[in-house]
Amino acid sequence: MFCEKAYTLIKELSRSEDTLPPYNTELVTAVINETKHLRDQNEEDAHTSNNDDSNAGTSLLPTVRIRHAAVKRNVRCLLAYHYNRIRCLRTMRWEFGSILPADIKSNLSASEIEWFSRYSRTLAAYMRSIGEEGVNLAVDLRPPKAMYIEVRCLTDYGKFELNDGSVILLKKDSRHYLPRAECEELIRQGVFQHID
Amino acid sequence: MNIDIDINFSDNLEASVDEDDEIQLTPAEAIALMEEAWINEKFAPEILPHKLELVECLLGQISYMEDNLRSLNSTDFKKIIHQLEVDRLRFLISSYLRTRLEKIETYVMPILDEENERIQQGVELYLTKQELKFAKDFAEDLQHHFDNITTTRLPREEWNQECVKPNIHSFVFLKSKEEVEGIVIDDGNDEDGDLVDLNRGSQMIISYKSVANLVKNGDVHLI
Amino acid sequence: MPLPTSYYPSYYSIDDILATQERVPCKFLVNVPKMGILNPSAAETDLEVGTSLELPLWLVSEMSTGRQPIVQLELPKIFKQTYQEILKADACAVDLHKFNLYFYELGSYVKHFDSHGDVHSILLHTFKTRFRQLLDLADNSISDPSVQQKLDTLERKVFKEGCNARTKLNEWLVQSGVTMEAANMVVNHKKRKRIDIQGLFDAFEFTNMMHKSVPIVILAYKI
Repeated sequence: MFCEKAYTLIKELSRSEDTLPPYNTELVTAVINETKHLRDQNEEDAHTSNNDDSNAGTSLLPTVRIRHAAVKRNVRCLLAYHYNRIRCLRTMRWEFGSILPADIKSNLSASEIEWFSRYSRTLAAYMRSIGEEGVNLAVDLRPPKAMYIEVRCLTDYGKFELNDGSVILLKKDSRHYLPRAECEELIRQGVFQHID
Repeated sequence: MNIDIDINFSDNLEASVDEDDEIQLTPAEAIALMEEAWINEKFAPEILPHKLELVECLLGQISYMEDNLRSLNSTDFKKIIHQLEVDRLRFLISSYLRTRLEKIETYVMPILDEENERIQQGVELYLTKQELKFAKDFAEDLQHHFDNITTTRLPREEWNQECVKPNIHSFVFLKSKEEVEGIVIDDGNDEDGDLVDLNRGSQMIISYKSVANLVKNGDVHLI
Repeated sequence: MPLPTSYYPSYYSIDDILATQERVPCKFLVNVPKMGILNPSAAETDLEVGTSLELPLWLVSEMSTGRQPIVQLELPKIFKQTYQEILKADACAVDLHKFNLYFYELGSYVKHFDSHGDVHSILLHTFKTRFRQLLDLADNSISDPSVQQKLDTLERKVFKEGCNARTKLNEWLVQSGVTMEAANMVVNHKKRKRIDIQGLFDAFEFTNMMHKSVPIVILAYKI
């Protein structure tokens, strides 16, 4: 049956929400090859039926149409596979920042890594261009309720300089009472845990 | 999510919004307008005309307030309250701009097409200059990525790339600010739409397409 | 902070691709040379006119349209009279998951081949009747898991969104505060690392961390 491989590709992606499975080079190549093969066969048959008007009873037109439907389906699956991975990568840019953890990076194709850095650049350029000094849109994700919040440090982070110039040492399991605005990014990255 | 921000801490604060007819706005009015724009943008399925003047005016407001705050002693209780206000205002603007970015990314092709049409017709644009640049770069990056996968191995004409469009018939909640008569209900079915009137202050759930123009000209706002 | 989009399958929609992979019965109206491979139970190279096969929807819909259709689509049995009667009798009692994983999606495709409009009305009837039950279910997510098993893909989505909305509402009612959290993907990423080390999989916690969005629609219906 046609397009089974393309279906497997999509099925694989659908099973993992919020995560990216390793880029399946093998299957992608297989789908592309099948598509090419279908196209070649179609060209051949189109050629034959053009040169041979005698066998009007067994037109090859339906055959060509079926193969063409399969080509379209394969292309749709291929593009959807890549598109949805990009959407996921995009969210990762917002959640992890411009540098991805190594084990996530190893699941990406070369072109995806390139896309990611292009996207990072495009986004950074946009954020710089807002207002006079630029606005970092990756923070202020939730409406603030209090000026200071209590946080627990989850890792040995080391020294951290606050906006007023004072430096604090962040050790694992240490607790701090800090200005909300300065904690947000570290909370997002999982360094701090917000305690109610 | 209810954010009521009110800046009254400095008497000499006078913000002006240069819209077509140069309306003078107090900070509180500007923030109220921003809140409305934010909620409209959040609930409208398509991208709405930009509010660059408003955003820039409020960003100016923020940096002005922050400058003032720097001069206050950090133990001053007033400082904490005002800082919180600044933070809330910043959230409002960031969230608004983020929502627009998300729409631009998701619906990048139709948004660019419509914007080009507007440029050609010389009518009011929906994207700011910066957003338009972002949209173009984003579309180009995506195209480049798709090209990497396919064109080397598959000829371009095989993949007539289809784009993601917003569902402009999706339902929205709205509240009317004006009396509006004879809204044609257009929910995407071919049948002739019924008519409905809106009283000032009335609320309604309706398909977005029917009221898109009213949202854009400010007769109603989404809730 | 995903956009509150309404359900609208796009070219890239994974769900739509999966739904169109479902097989539907069809009958060949013409001879098709070289396409014997479509029929796994025959060894001939050509497909004869009159052959009946079950083929994926994406293929059947391409073949059954146009000026010279190659096949005639037949309604899948779950949309035929007998099954319609079952749904009319008590839609809530039906295990829709067993009917078809993509009951509604499939239905909204094949309804175009049903000239009486019966499929259209049975889809609407089924969804409306079951929606109330779905709401109750989402309100008490701990209740009988076997009921959840009887939902089709679309209903499962609505159910999940409904549960999330309920949790969010509760959080807000109880503490009216918004706790800042680590980003979803960061949390999952850390978890997977931990799993790698310990070889453990804490399924419950994991599913809890998935997907955070506020489905406006569901809440709205409740009001």
